[in-house]
Amino acid sequence: MVEPIFGFKCALYANYRGAVKIQKRILICITRSNWVLLGLISMLGLLLASSRFALGLILGGLIVTVNFHLLYRTLKSALSPPHLSSHHVVITKYYARFAVSGLIIFWLISGKHVDPLGLILGLSVVVLSILFATLMELKHLIFKEAT
Amino acid sequence: MEAEALKFFIASVTAAGFGITIAASFCGIAQGLGLRAAVEGIARNPESSGKVTVTMLIGLAMIESLCIYALVIALILIYAHPQAAAIAKIFAAH
Repeated sequence: MVEPIFGFKCALYANYRGAVKIQKRILICITRSNWVLLGLISMLGLLLASSRFALGLILGGLIVTVNFHLLYRTLKSALSPPHLSSHHVVITKYYARFAVSGLIIFWLISGKHVDPLGLILGLSVVVLSILFATLMELKHLIFKEAT
Repeated sequence: MEAEALKFFIASVTAAGFGITIAASFCGIAQGLGLRAAVEGIARNPESSGKVTVTMLIGLAMIESLCIYALVIALILIYAHPQAAAIAKIFAAH
């Protein structure tokens, strides 16, 4: 009786560890591809588009990438035991980050400092990174199952 | 024609207001649901906090980006409407 239960426990543990590995891999992929995509679209924007469009791409990409990193740090400090930060701190940080992003976007658009289309494209950097990381993980899973 | 221009401006501002209100409401609801599920999951199994946090981070980033898109569209409608100059020209010609 002892052996199957022990075996079952081991299998669960392996699956759990595997799941954590996948999560970590996706996070690292997203974090790195954020910066790579930002660099790539900035270069393309500077080379091929007008300066306002390129500025929109760069600033939009920077806003969401920095936002993503700050969100990660806030959530990590809020949800990873044993040292959990107070929920007041978490909420304050969350709203401060969101308000600062909103104000920067407001200033950029109302002052017509950047091209709005470029800004929207720049703001899509994180979404594209997440899609890219998911596709890479799917590819990894499919090829792993095939071999 | 000034009345027509005013109508156009009112329509843009109304669309921007309703757009950002709807987007923020639904994004808020979605983020709340995600956060609730994550907190419940961590409360049941504290060891899974790393896994849940990463999944939630990705989900929240996706939802938040939708709200930011809505904000940008609303601001464009008010401050940088792409057809604003053309419409103003039409109004000025009449």
